[in-house]
Order: sequence, then C-alpha cells, then structure tokens
Amino acid sequence: MAERLSLDEVRHVAKLARLRLTNEELEQYRSQLSAVLEHIAKLNEVDVAGVEPMAHPSDVTNRLDEDVVGESMPVEQLLAIAPAVEGQFLAVPKVLGEETGP
Amino acid sequence: MTTSASIVTTRLKIGMEIHVELATKSKMFSRSANLAHPDHYDAAPNSLVDPMVAALPGVLPVMNKQAVEMAMMVGIALGCTIARVSKWDRKNYFYPDLPKGYQISQYDLPLCCDGELHIPGADGTTKRIGIIRAHLEEDTGKLGHELPGGKPYNGSLVDLNRAGTPLLEIVTHPDLESAQDAVTFGKELRNLCRFLGVSEGIMQRGHMRFEPNVNVIIRTDDGNEFATPIVEIKNLNSFRALRGAIEHEHKRQVEAWAEEGVVQATGLKSTRGWDDARLITVLQREKEEADDYRYFPDPDLIPVVVSDEWRQNVAARIPELPMQRRRRYQEQYKLSAKDALALTDDRDPCMFYEQCVDACVAGRGSQAQVGSACAKLLLNAGAKRANERGCGVHELGISPGQVAQIIELRDQEAIGSTAADELFGLLCDSDDNAQAVAEQHGLLQVRDEGQLDRWCEAAIEAQPQAADDFRSGKAAAIGRLVGQVMKVSRGQADAKAAKEKLTQKLGRG
Repeated sequence: MAERLSLDEVRHVAKLARLRLTNEELEQYRSQLSAVLEHIAKLNEVDVAGVEPMAHPSDVTNRLDEDVVGESMPVEQLLAIAPAVEGQFLAVPKVLGEETGP
Repeated sequence: MTTSASIVTTRLKIGMEIHVELATKSKMFSRSANLAHPDHYDAAPNSLVDPMVAALPGVLPVMNKQAVEMAMMVGIALGCTIARVSKWDRKNYFYPDLPKGYQISQYDLPLCCDGELHIPGADGTTKRIGIIRAHLEEDTGKLGHELPGGKPYNGSLVDLNRAGTPLLEIVTHPDLESAQDAVTFGKELRNLCRFLGVSEGIMQRGHMRFEPNVNVIIRTDDGNEFATPIVEIKNLNSFRALRGAIEHEHKRQVEAWAEEGVVQATGLKSTRGWDDARLITVLQREKEEADDYRYFPDPDLIPVVVSDEWRQNVAARIPELPMQRRRRYQEQYKLSAKDALALTDDRDPCMFYEQCVDACVAGRGSQAQVGSACAKLLLNAGAKRANERGCGVHELGISPGQVAQIIELRDQEAIGSTAADELFGLLCDSDDNAQAVAEQHGLLQVRDEGQLDRWCEAAIEAQPQAADDFRSGKAAAIGRLVGQVMKVSRGQADAKAAKEKLTQKLGRG
C-alpha cells in the first residue's frame, strides 16, 4: 500500500514541474496523487519473479535511420514561432549560474 | 584542526565523466545536420534545427544507425561488453537549452559496460583505468549572453544548433590519482576517438567536455586515513582547466579538512564550477537528485538489440589503435617507449610517419631500418620545426616522398646529419626532389681530400685550445674540432673522415 503523500512531497513535485500551487491546490493534489499512487501500487501484488523487464510494449527493435542529412527548418520559420527573438537567436529571460543545464 | 595528528600524505582519487560529441553527418534522433561534423562547424545560429530538435508537437525520434555504431566502436576499443539489449530513457528537467523538457539518454541499460583504457606513464609503464559504462544520449542547445560582436545582452540567447548532436558519455572508475593522470587519460581518449574517426576532438568547439569527481585521501601520522567529501566539477572544456581545477581541489579539500574535519558521507557530495579567470573552483547550486530527473523509458523509442553478427561487423572496422601501433613500433622498429609514444600521441602526425615509412619501403630497404630512421628524422628535424611553426609535422609542407629521399641520401652517406636537418627545413618550403635541393644548396658531402684538408686546417686555427688539449692527451677535445669542421663546411664534410684527418694532423694517428 502506498503511503499518503506529504505536503512537502507535493510541493517538491510541483517545483520540479515548475507549477505554482495555492495551499488549496496543494491539498487537492495531495489527495488526488495519493489516490493515483495507491491505485498503481496494486501492481506490486503481481508476482514477476523470472519475468524479463519489458522496455517497450512493441516487439519491434532496431528501427534505425541511415546517417544522411535531411532538411532543416528555415531559420525564419523557427524564429516566427518563438515568443521572443534577438537577431538569429531565441531570446529567453536571463538564466543565472551556469552555461548549460544539469 | 580537529585532530592533534598531523598530515603525512594526501592522495587524490579521481573518477571522470567524459562527454564526446560524435561526428555523424546528421543528429542523434532526427536528420538535421550535425554541428559536430566538419561540414557544419560554422553554421549560422539556429540553422541546424528541425521539428524534432525544436520539439514541435507530433514529432517522433528515429535513431541514427551511424551514431550507434560509432558508440559501439569506442566501446569495443575500450574493451567494453556491448549490451545485447539497451534502451532509451527520458531525463526530465526544465532548461531553455532543452526544448522537449527532457533529454533522451540511457539510464539503466547503457550500450557499453565494463571496459578499460591503459594510459601511458612518463617511464614507459602504463596504468589501467577502469571504465564503468559508456552510453549514448543527445546534446543540448547552447545558451549565450552576448550578441554577435560581443555586446552584452540582458537575457539569455538560445542557439539550438548543438541540440540533438549524438553524445557519448563515458564514466570511469576512480582510478586516476593526479591531475596529470586525468589530462593523460583525456588526451589518450581523444586520440583514440580520432583514430576511430568518431570525433575530431577539437576542445575549443566543445567536442569533448570533462567532469571529474574529486576527493582526497588524507593520512595522518597516527596511522589514520580520512576521505574528504566528493566534489563534482562541471563542464571543463580544456586540458588546462581540467588540470587547474583538480590541482585547486586537491589544495582546497586538504585545507577544508584541516579546518572543519568533514569527511565523505552520503549526501555530502557537492558540485563546483571552474573559474578560468580566478583559477579557483566555485560552489554551484545543489544538483537535483537522480530521482528528481524522473527517468522513465521513452515510449517513442524501441530498444536496440545488438546481435553477434552486428557487433563483429563493427569490430572489423576498427583500425589499428594508438596503443597497438605503439607496441608494434617498439617491436618492429626497435623504437624506445618514449619515441613510440611521441609518434602515436596524435593521429595525423602518426599517419604521416607511416606514410614516410611506406615511401621508404617502396624505394628500397628493410622496414625495421627505415622505421627507425624516419622516426629519428621526424622526432628531431620535424618536431623542432613543427614546434617553431606551431603546427603538426604533417602540416610542414614536406611530403612523405621527400622524407624518404632524405633517408636515402643519408643511407648512401651522401649527406651528414647536420645537412639532413637543413635539407629537411628546405624541403618544407619546396616541392623539388631532395637530391636537387641538396645539390643546389651545397649540402652533399664533399669527398675531395684537398678540401677536407683545408677545412681541418681552418678548424685547428680557429680552435687552438682544443688542438692543444688534444695533443696533450685529452681525447674528448677532438669533438670540438670536428664540430668546427662541420661548421666551416656547412655540414658538407664527412664527420668520420674529418675525425681521422684531424687525428692524423695532430700527430696522434
């Protein structure tokens, strides 16, 4: 049985998803997510000893493309759908700290 | 100091994560051109983007066969087991250089596992560095904070050209014991990738990035050992930064331990960045835990299954590797470990050397003999000029055929070693035959007895002290006189004949 999520856990998951939640919403998601987890936890009851883990429901493997250069989008087309641009770059609010992500 | 004992030794313990951009023609999961391929190095910002890279709705990734095979080649060359089944996972996090909101990577079933790389030491021995795994993933875009021309921009500028470049992440065991080990490992791995043709390894273009995990084992005089907390240093993109960051961490961690006495424990690992201007490492924000990335199998991609046949097929395409060539040069050409290492530490000069040997063999001669003669010429006359001109020996302008001609003139004793060196220099700027250039510049050895006699007279006159020393029994003084003969003859005298002549003249013949 899955234990009921703590408020801190819900806050943490919301932060990872970049969601700003009110206290009311935190409570609401706490019960909803807990119920989802409890439902999924039923799977723990299945005996899977000796069963190979499945990476994908399809039996198909090795769908590979040859390494041949295809088309890129025209730059104008990419820039046209961006919320903000600066020259040929996509412009976003300043990211402090490091050059790249984790 | 938390203990009254004093420090006897401090020993670095370093494991590395290395990211290598693979130089396929197209991206990892779509067919837009790859920034890490030489054809696209200088592509205009955001010109190598397709709907998959931009994460437009409805797109589906399709693996690049060549990227998988390049990763297999590196894995096989590192002695790794190639997984029969590997799969793709999503690593979720939000960052402007990652339009999908997740990076496609391999979490629990990487393509390559359990390998090793033997790095050469200065003394001719090698050290085994264990490889834990090597897995494939996709690179992210790049964030800048300056407009073209260097004007600062109050925000971040995203260029997605690099997003989707196939990236091989290689993880080592903590077997490296010094900054020098880490640098040697990095260079050896880069060289290996170049020989395999999977990456040009140009550091300035970010083709390779290093993330060392560093801590220090401190021994005190009361016989105790302490391990300092592990620090991960992010994104080092030059060998200078790699060396500097590790050396700084060594010092900093020992000082921090002496002051606070904190030792390694779960949850104490921290992340630091390298400040290239101040030459120190700086604490960065705490890294998200692995759980926070919410890895899960990517439903858009199916597993890769590598049959024995496919693996053997890829293995058969692996050329002779630098470490194998190194061994062969020592056995076949009787080269010293040091010379063999110098000839193989970079692909292009090494290939040039082999072309020179081939050109000599085509002319005549046993391979063992010309192998050693070419090595000597390239490591002396060649290395000197390559160093002066700041290029590789293969870029000096002299051709393998011309090198072979110099070796042949030397073999026929038509030129001396000084003349060979000068001729090498002249041929860097000439397409003419070595014999013709040697004649034109008077470099061929003169066998005229009268001429040799006159040069010897001149040498004795110029170096009376050496002549006296020799007469009074100091045999070594003859060297100065022979040197003088070679100088006045501009290398045209035969040193052996000059020595005989001088000995005769000074009455000791």
